[in-house]
Amino acid sequence: MRYIKLILLALIFFPFSLQADTAEGVGLKIAKASYENGRGFIDMVSDQLMILIDPKGKEVIREVSSKTLENLDPDDGDKSITFFKTPKDVEGTVMLSHTHISDDDDQWLYLPALGRVKRISSSNKSGAFMGSEVAFEDFSGTDYRKYNWRYLGEKIENDETFFILESFPNYKNSGYSKRISLTDSLDRTRKVDFYDRKGELLKILYLEDYELYKDKIWMANTMRVENVQNKNMTIFKWLNRELDTGIDKKDFEKSSLMRLAD
Amino acid sequence: MQNQFLIAPVYVLLFSLIFFQNANALDYKAYGFIQPEITSFFNGDGRHNQSNKNFSAFAKGTFVTYLNNNNTKITVNSIGRIDDNDNNRTYIDFQKLKYELFFNDITFRIGNELIFWGVNESFNIVDIINQSNLAEDISGTKKLGQPMVSLSYFNDYGSFDFYLMPYFIERVFPGTKGRPRLAFEVDKNNVIFESSAKKNKVDVAIRYSTVVDDFDIGISHFYGNNRSPNLTFNNKSFKLSQYYPILSQTSLDLQSTKGAWLYKLEALLAENGDEKHFSIAGGTEYTIYGVKETSSDLGIVIEYTFDDRNDFAFNDEGVIALRWTQNDINSTSILAGLLSDLGGNSNRFFAEFEQRLNDDVKLFIDTSISGNIDQNDFTYAFKEDSQITVKIAKYF
Repeated sequence: MRYIKLILLALIFFPFSLQADTAEGVGLKIAKASYENGRGFIDMVSDQLMILIDPKGKEVIREVSSKTLENLDPDDGDKSITFFKTPKDVEGTVMLSHTHISDDDDQWLYLPALGRVKRISSSNKSGAFMGSEVAFEDFSGTDYRKYNWRYLGEKIENDETFFILESFPNYKNSGYSKRISLTDSLDRTRKVDFYDRKGELLKILYLEDYELYKDKIWMANTMRVENVQNKNMTIFKWLNRELDTGIDKKDFEKSSLMRLAD
Repeated sequence: MQNQFLIAPVYVLLFSLIFFQNANALDYKAYGFIQPEITSFFNGDGRHNQSNKNFSAFAKGTFVTYLNNNNTKITVNSIGRIDDNDNNRTYIDFQKLKYELFFNDITFRIGNELIFWGVNESFNIVDIINQSNLAEDISGTKKLGQPMVSLSYFNDYGSFDFYLMPYFIERVFPGTKGRPRLAFEVDKNNVIFESSAKKNKVDVAIRYSTVVDDFDIGISHFYGNNRSPNLTFNNKSFKLSQYYPILSQTSLDLQSTKGAWLYKLEALLAENGDEKHFSIAGGTEYTIYGVKETSSDLGIVIEYTFDDRNDFAFNDEGVIALRWTQNDINSTSILAGLLSDLGGNSNRFFAEFEQRLNDDVKLFIDTSISGNIDQNDFTYAFKEDSQITVKIAKYF
């Protein structure tokens, strides 16, 4: 009888311990697949439109355009150049950024009033991008290796099955304690709940208008962020997105900023 | 100023030729702003009997176009001001008016250009290419376009820049009705050069700059007419005469970016006419991002400069400033600080506030207030010039 009890106990606990072991593994596997879904673009050129909506429904529009260079070195991050267009007082400002997976990013800003290139700190992970509900880390932190993952199970919503993943940032200065994301059967991230440092729900990100590029790369053309704390909303749209356009990789160096400056 | 207008027709001709050649489907961008300003001085009329109010309007226009499959670029960047009181402050300048050709790793430029060297926030001692317009701003941070031919080459080790500057632009000083201004008027008609070629001396400069991990490094050498003249009092005219020595200057600028900490250093060795000097300036900047779980950032900047010339105005000065950035939709920010002569006993408080009022209108409020000013400090001439300026920029 005693042995049977022990076997029963073992049978009860074994699946749990197995699941505890694999929750991280499964989570990492799905997160990696989802990340790799958007890779292989070589380079990307696009215009971005940002609509900031306050709780009263008042809208403000911000425009930037950008170029991104995919880093073929799997252990280092992408490089990007952002050209600010509106609000008009920042027109002509250019930002160059070299992202890194385990280190701080390198960032430079060209300031047209002074004809000056400034190296700036990239520690500002949780800061708002142009007064929006999108934080700098939401752009720079898309690499799955910047988080520790856990698979929480499956969920059916509107007849679609989603994998639920929990992720914890493993880089410094994040504004988030954790994120809960929904990934669909095509490994596309569709929704992310962000929790602030105190563990309260801060904002919900919806990734929409997915488009299949080059028959293999899924990219969302709309990002909708609802801040549940301050009730602001930001809609971020990619327009005229083109991949593999053959941009010279030298454009993404500090010494090229003066070429691109107005 | 007039001399710049003399060379302007050459540029106009050059650029019209280019435009006519490429008149079909010109793809360009053009933008700018116009900025009315009002200044009110706190101490009544000035030490030199200037007005206690000033109205002024500043404007800037930018035009950029790319031609020949983006291998050619034309940039026009002009600034100008109309000033109520000071004639020297009414001007037009082409800060950039250049034609650029891009080859694989070489950029060739001809025309007016605005080049900044250095890393500091306050004491930009190594920045030498462009002339300062002190009528625009007595601190010298506002620059005039420099005509040049330049070549940049870059490879994996960094960037090499070569500059040939065939024409010298004189420093612009505030006029008699300008406020702030120097104790005596600077005589525009009494300008002497060490160089026999005077303004036509071809100044040369070379710079190597590179990025090594967290370090941004620049090493430069400049040889040519000093941008800063020696001013001497003339007993006959009761004005200050200008003497531009030949300057040979080697400089280093260095920034290290360690997380939220920035460390900055500029240093130079110079032979200026028949004297030699050494100067160093640097400091640190630290920013707290997301103060108390809000979206605001608070930065602190501390900088110091030393120059081994005892009679030099900035030979032992420090600045401490706080920068508060709200990161709101209107980009509200405040910079406030104290500039202090550590060798003497003079100090000045300054603050700058800015906020967007709507998509294309921005408000700026600047103030500067004299604290204790030593009678033998050169800023004693501006002691009575504590002021507040309100500017509203309308962007197009």
